[in-house]
Amino acid sequence: MSGRAKRLTLDELDRLCRRRQAAGEAMPAYAGPLGRHVRDGDRRLLTLEYDDSPAALRLWNFLLTEEDRLHEARAAGKKIVGTMKDLGTVPVMAYALPNVVAFYPDGAWWTPCLMELSEGLFGIAQSLGLGDAFCPVRAMAGAFVNRAHFPIPDLATCSVGATCDDFSAIAQRLESLGYPITWWEMPSRRRPDPGEPGVTLPGGFTAPASQVALVRSELERLRAALARLAGSPLGDAELAAGIREANRVRALLAELRQLAYTADPCPMPALEMLIAEMLAIHFCSDREESAAVLAELLDEVHSRVSAGRGVLAERAARLFWVNPVADLRVMNLLEDCGARLAGTEYLFCHALDAIPEDLPPMEALARMALADPMVGPSADRAARVVRDARAMGAEAVVVSRIPGASHCALEGTVIGHIVRQELDLPVVELEVPPVADALWPTLRTRLEALVETVLERRKR
Amino acid sequence: MKTVIYSSPFVPAEWIAAHGVRPRRVRPDPAAAVPRSGPPMGMCPYARAFVGEAMAACGAGAAILTTTCDQMRRAAEWLSMDRGPPVFLMNVPATWQTPASARLYRDELQRLGRFLVSLGAAPPSPARLAETIERYDGRRAVLRGAVGMLSAREASDAIARFDLGEEPDEAAPAAPPCGTAALGCADSGLCCTPAGRRATLPVALVGGPLARGDERVFDAIEQAGGLVVLDGTESGVRTLPAPLDRRRLGDDPLLELVDAYFGTIPDAFRRPDALLYEWLGRELAAGAARGIIVWRYVWCDMWAAAATRLRETRGLPVLDLHVSGDEAGFARTLHQVQAFMEVLK
Repeated sequence: MSGRAKRLTLDELDRLCRRRQAAGEAMPAYAGPLGRHVRDGDRRLLTLEYDDSPAALRLWNFLLTEEDRLHEARAAGKKIVGTMKDLGTVPVMAYALPNVVAFYPDGAWWTPCLMELSEGLFGIAQSLGLGDAFCPVRAMAGAFVNRAHFPIPDLATCSVGATCDDFSAIAQRLESLGYPITWWEMPSRRRPDPGEPGVTLPGGFTAPASQVALVRSELERLRAALARLAGSPLGDAELAAGIREANRVRALLAELRQLAYTADPCPMPALEMLIAEMLAIHFCSDREESAAVLAELLDEVHSRVSAGRGVLAERAARLFWVNPVADLRVMNLLEDCGARLAGTEYLFCHALDAIPEDLPPMEALARMALADPMVGPSADRAARVVRDARAMGAEAVVVSRIPGASHCALEGTVIGHIVRQELDLPVVELEVPPVADALWPTLRTRLEALVETVLERRKR
Repeated sequence: MKTVIYSSPFVPAEWIAAHGVRPRRVRPDPAAAVPRSGPPMGMCPYARAFVGEAMAACGAGAAILTTTCDQMRRAAEWLSMDRGPPVFLMNVPATWQTPASARLYRDELQRLGRFLVSLGAAPPSPARLAETIERYDGRRAVLRGAVGMLSAREASDAIARFDLGEEPDEAAPAAPPCGTAALGCADSGLCCTPAGRRATLPVALVGGPLARGDERVFDAIEQAGGLVVLDGTESGVRTLPAPLDRRRLGDDPLLELVDAYFGTIPDAFRRPDALLYEWLGRELAAGAARGIIVWRYVWCDMWAAAATRLRETRGLPVLDLHVSGDEAGFARTLHQVQAFMEVLK
């Protein structure tokens, strides 16, 4: 086996970046030392540890320059769509139009983490009546109000119904402040009743055909709104092409996840994998570049796997992680405790599964939207966790609760119950706030205990 | 006849009754929320109380929950995993301005009907449905008339009895005895006997549903010198369905139900929530309320967001009560109400 890939501090990563720049290595225009983002306020970057590959550096640069890209798109006359809550569906439609860029204002939920609460978004949210009983996505409301982050979208859409109450309430508050929102209904997914026609959705969940039809009709409303905004029709041919492009990104990510979560030693850190998975939702505001970033990351992982190189010791405890963490640093912590990722379910598995290309595009998108793990029973979600954890050879499951999220208490309990029953794996529930420093000893102790349990169980 | 329990105002009692089943819209008893009624933390106390109530309701043929809030949606799943009665989760759309959402609500009523039939109920003929709807509409008209003559507490009690299937009484019922210890106001220093009332300040109580025993908040407000001129909680007049259009009843009785319930009931979960603020604007002005008390459970995002907005839009002082569903919490609530009334004075 060759030497281990390293996790670098920000200074080390930036030195490496400058050496590459000095050596004239090809880098995208948006790339550069990450320290410039620290100067802009992203102080959490100083506490993180990073993969040492050029591919990971590109990934981080791509992520951290998204707001610049959105402002550039606005300046270039493109229309900007803020697609809220659906996590993966509406952007596929929006990017099928040539002069439209879509992003998730929801993404602002990581801003308080990155800026270590110095940006004041929670304070603004609090002044709007959105206090800490709400999940960290309330930062989005602050970002709309202070206009210091993303540009205000030309069209804002929001799925409601069987979505989380936090988000619905926050989005309604935004509308009350004068930001018009195109609401669309997401029914509570259920299994077909006996004798009722059903449809198997991407990823394996099932739903009544009538629910798919309803979602399809709602997406048709959005199709019309997007076409009006763009000033050009959004036909099936354009949508089919958009689906193919989205699937290209998803295929790259699927291969990356398979390798990163199964190869031993682990070839890519958990933190970079979390960022990589996020690209599938809305392509970080540049679909083509998103695919290029993932392709380079995949090449790096291939080469590491071929060489037997990894970022962690071999046979690290294999954890399946449920829900995204509000504090990115926790992804480093799990590795510091002797664990690695062996699968994830970050609340958007429907954005990772291939969208059917053999169906009319709107039907395919409706099926995908309805496959959202949040809109169905927790038992469905648990079944997906069980299936994927088994396939990836996970040895334990971590359910990372999102503070204040209305769905987490019951959902985590149901998932934990079913995972224990089906897989006989240890399950730990953690709650991770946007800056988790105060809880660090507790989080570390709990993860270390879990790793110890996993290693002990190997002796059985 | 089987009994079905539920708590959401978007479940039409007459639809259940037309199937030959007894509808009971309950105010759940928080004391029934035994520890196993949900996860140890993070669960809405009302949802926990409903799960406990349903599990304890041995005679109930089924429980109906709705998707109008995340916690109740997930509570349905929790309940169905436990040893409770059969559970029906009714999808009540959040959007309401499109034909598709009204169609979904109607489809869900029909699915509820099939669920009831699967439990042994009989599907109603259109004539039977129309007759049942008309009967309920008549009873509700009597209730509305009675409510206008009663104190807020008495009106709330009358609505609760109506929801449990009792016939409304045009005569005002006697006020309940104080029962200081049971009301939890012994420690608060407040008394809720009529003699102690100094009702001078008109206020509105708006927000989520009341659990069993929460009606004592009306007494506490009166004892502190207030008068509830508007019960805008989920358990109050706000969620009474609109009177029906009898001329259209014969054509499509189910459509009349859809219009009366889905078409008119204002609530915080609806998107957009314009109906709620229209209703509040109208009713607050009519009652000349000088303050608003928001009744919302901890973890209730919908009403949490509404409190600040009410303060902004109505220009009235707002007391944002965080209801925890336990006795210690209620004692705290009494003190908050008292302090709010002092501020209003």
